[in-house]
Amino acid sequence: MSSQEVSLRRRRFALRFGGSTAEKKRSAPFRAHRPLSALSLCGKAGLAVLLFILATGVFSLLFMGDAHRVPSGDSLESPSLRHILGTDDLGIDIAAQLCRGAMVSVLVGLGAAVLAGAGGSALGMLAGYAGGWPDRLISGLCDVLTAIPQLPLMIVLGAFLGPSVRNIVFVVALLSWVGPARIARAKTLSMRREKFIVAAACYGASFSHIAAKHLAPALAPLVAASVLRIIGHAVVAEAGLTFLGLGDPTSKSWGMILNRSMSFGGIYFTDFWKWWVLPPLVALTMLVVSTAFIARDLEKFVNRKL
Amino acid sequence: MNDAVLEIRKMTVRYSGSAADAVRGVDLTLRPGECAGVIGESGSGKSSLALASLGLLRKRAEVEGSVLFKGVELNGLSESAMERYRWSRIAIIFQNGLDVLNPVIAVGEQIAECIRRHSGEGKAAAAEKTRRLLEMVGLRASWSDAYPHQLSGGMRQKALVAMALSCDPEVLLVDEPTMALDAVSKREIVELLLRLRAERGFAMLVISHELPVVSAMTSRVMVMYSGSVLEEGPTEALLKDPLHPYTRGLISSSPSVNPYRDMWGIPGEVVVAGEKQCPFFNRCTQRVDGCAGELPALKTVRDGRRVACIRDGIVTLLGGSGIDKTYGSGERSVAACVDCSLEVRAGEVCALIGESGSGKTTLAEILSGIARPDSGQVLFEGRPVRGNSETSKTGGIQIVFQDPLSATNEHLTIEETVREPLDILREGTKTERLRVAREALKNVQLPSDEDFLKRRCFMLSGGQRQRVAVARALVMRPKLLIADEISAMLDPSTAANMLRLLKGLQNSQGFAMLFVTHDLALAQKIADRVYVMRRGRIVEHGPTEDVLGAPKEEYTKLLMSGPGAVRSA
Repeated sequence: MSSQEVSLRRRRFALRFGGSTAEKKRSAPFRAHRPLSALSLCGKAGLAVLLFILATGVFSLLFMGDAHRVPSGDSLESPSLRHILGTDDLGIDIAAQLCRGAMVSVLVGLGAAVLAGAGGSALGMLAGYAGGWPDRLISGLCDVLTAIPQLPLMIVLGAFLGPSVRNIVFVVALLSWVGPARIARAKTLSMRREKFIVAAACYGASFSHIAAKHLAPALAPLVAASVLRIIGHAVVAEAGLTFLGLGDPTSKSWGMILNRSMSFGGIYFTDFWKWWVLPPLVALTMLVVSTAFIARDLEKFVNRKL
Repeated sequence: MNDAVLEIRKMTVRYSGSAADAVRGVDLTLRPGECAGVIGESGSGKSSLALASLGLLRKRAEVEGSVLFKGVELNGLSESAMERYRWSRIAIIFQNGLDVLNPVIAVGEQIAECIRRHSGEGKAAAAEKTRRLLEMVGLRASWSDAYPHQLSGGMRQKALVAMALSCDPEVLLVDEPTMALDAVSKREIVELLLRLRAERGFAMLVISHELPVVSAMTSRVMVMYSGSVLEEGPTEALLKDPLHPYTRGLISSSPSVNPYRDMWGIPGEVVVAGEKQCPFFNRCTQRVDGCAGELPALKTVRDGRRVACIRDGIVTLLGGSGIDKTYGSGERSVAACVDCSLEVRAGEVCALIGESGSGKTTLAEILSGIARPDSGQVLFEGRPVRGNSETSKTGGIQIVFQDPLSATNEHLTIEETVREPLDILREGTKTERLRVAREALKNVQLPSDEDFLKRRCFMLSGGQRQRVAVARALVMRPKLLIADEISAMLDPSTAANMLRLLKGLQNSQGFAMLFVTHDLALAQKIADRVYVMRRGRIVEHGPTEDVLGAPKEEYTKLLMSGPGAVRSA
């Protein structure tokens, strides 16, 4: 068979079955196997930073032992080869704390975001699909949560529930499920009249079948973008609560480093703030900015598909 | 009752060496001057009935029951006694001209011989009578010297008519009078027989599988199937509104009854039924368990119509009555359905015709239970349709939607899509579901290999996705399939394939179909009956050829004068 014949056959096959030929791939780049190409430069940088932060966290967990909580030098050392970011007032290596803090921050962020994303989209789907009083109830809750100032509520809740990482995750999730819920409800409303959902309902499908089989896969990319934003939000919220003293004092999150450093009397009169206050702040900012970048790219991709 | 010229009672014919009866307990009454017909497929026992009543099967078969000619029992008479009735009182025109005539004797001589033998006239008188007979049937007297092979098929048939009438019989049995004749000869023979009957007043029993012939000649007709009579009634009513599924099958196999419609034979083969079983059981589309355990007797269903079916003939599957539905409220309210009533019978194709916005999709959704009517009732097999009560089980209603891209979820694989209803219902094991899904895909002429099953729906074209949607409906083995404009969004070729496929599946699997469309030509092509809908009202309904062929309502006329319809010249 000549190569021409082969390509002709392939094209015919593609015409008949709409198969995955080269032409098809080019026209639909997001279904291709290289999702990296979908990211902008900022997105790629964001992804790199995110991966780096994650890697330091994992590294600290695996190889750094107790360096983040046991003194390894004199107190308040300046940066040196031994302690690249110096030590704090107790002589504990700040770089090691920062690495461990990455772990805590990322965990809190991811935990809260996943919780809020999953719960929010489940509630949103229910509201959109069921309509009637469940819809009114859930939408009303969304409105109330949007109207209430978040920070005071968070502080009150954090204080009320007591200081622990788990509680912070819970509080942040509780306050940020509104976004995914609204997105899920809107998308569900628009999909509810799709005939495949009408057909499934005809066959007697329950809400859980329709949600799992038809709604969730379509919602996933939309909710993913909003979940990424919640990660950023959750990391800042955790840092904020911890900074205010509502965090778990035994944890070594970035917020806790900030809390300790900034409560060190007269830190701005010395040079210590350069390696004690600045690094966790920069790390926080970078984490938040990088998730924002990725979320922006993801939104673009999702919108284009719509 | 005794004004009957020929009466057959409980006739049963069994050919020697055959396990099954060729004729099973058939009753038939022929009044003087009446013209009755017997229709049925080949091998249904029509000819055996005629031959047996003339005592022509004595050597080959066992004939039970009685044949009364003006009250005289013929069955059981000796051969010589029979001779006195045969030909001079009851004559028969056989179905194959060339075999029946003796090839080495001239036609005229054969007729004269017949006259001499049965009426004992002299040679000259017989020859004279033969000439008159030949002229009467429209053959020149000079043909009397011709041998059978020198005559055309039509002429031979005329010669046979002349021979049958040679002794002025009171009853004429006509067995397939027009088989294998061209259209012109066919019409001549039919007209000839009708003219002669009017002139001479004999009673006639026409046996034919050609419905136009029967409908032109007879006033009453009997439908036979593997030896039993399935239906009986006035010819016109029976052909217009058949009661038995078999009769309907016969009619839809006959293009001349409705020339626009596609032809479809009755699927399946004749299987000899057991003693206690409906003979049509294995080919019937509306059989129930009871059909296998009982031989149905003919019973009167309505005025003059008798049918042998334990379900009283074709059942009404879906009936909607007085359906109202209004969308919106106040000044902007739209009455989508106003007092709509319609019914779909088992195994038939109904078309719901209307322009867009006429409310036909709303009506289809109400009938399937997706939408709730403001008032009115929908019954499916006597049960009210509420929500998904009839769509969520096998053997119920299924609906296929207009837009193929919306009807299937593009992210699911084809296997998941087709299997979905079974997964939801938890029908059978996983492998069984897969097998059913594969079979359904095969039925809609899609590949069913592993590679194809794992493909996602967005990789298919619109036509393919529509077929996947049909396959998904078919795994539920519906008794009624509602197809909502399924061809509207497909290109002509794909639409044609789709529709032939669907009609073929409908024919072979026997489900009923409600076909919602705005395409008149299409409705003419596939529908048995049509409903015309306008502004939420059903303005006209009836058999397709009546409503679309001779519309009564202004709106239907308007539709038919548009460019979409096929009109008779």
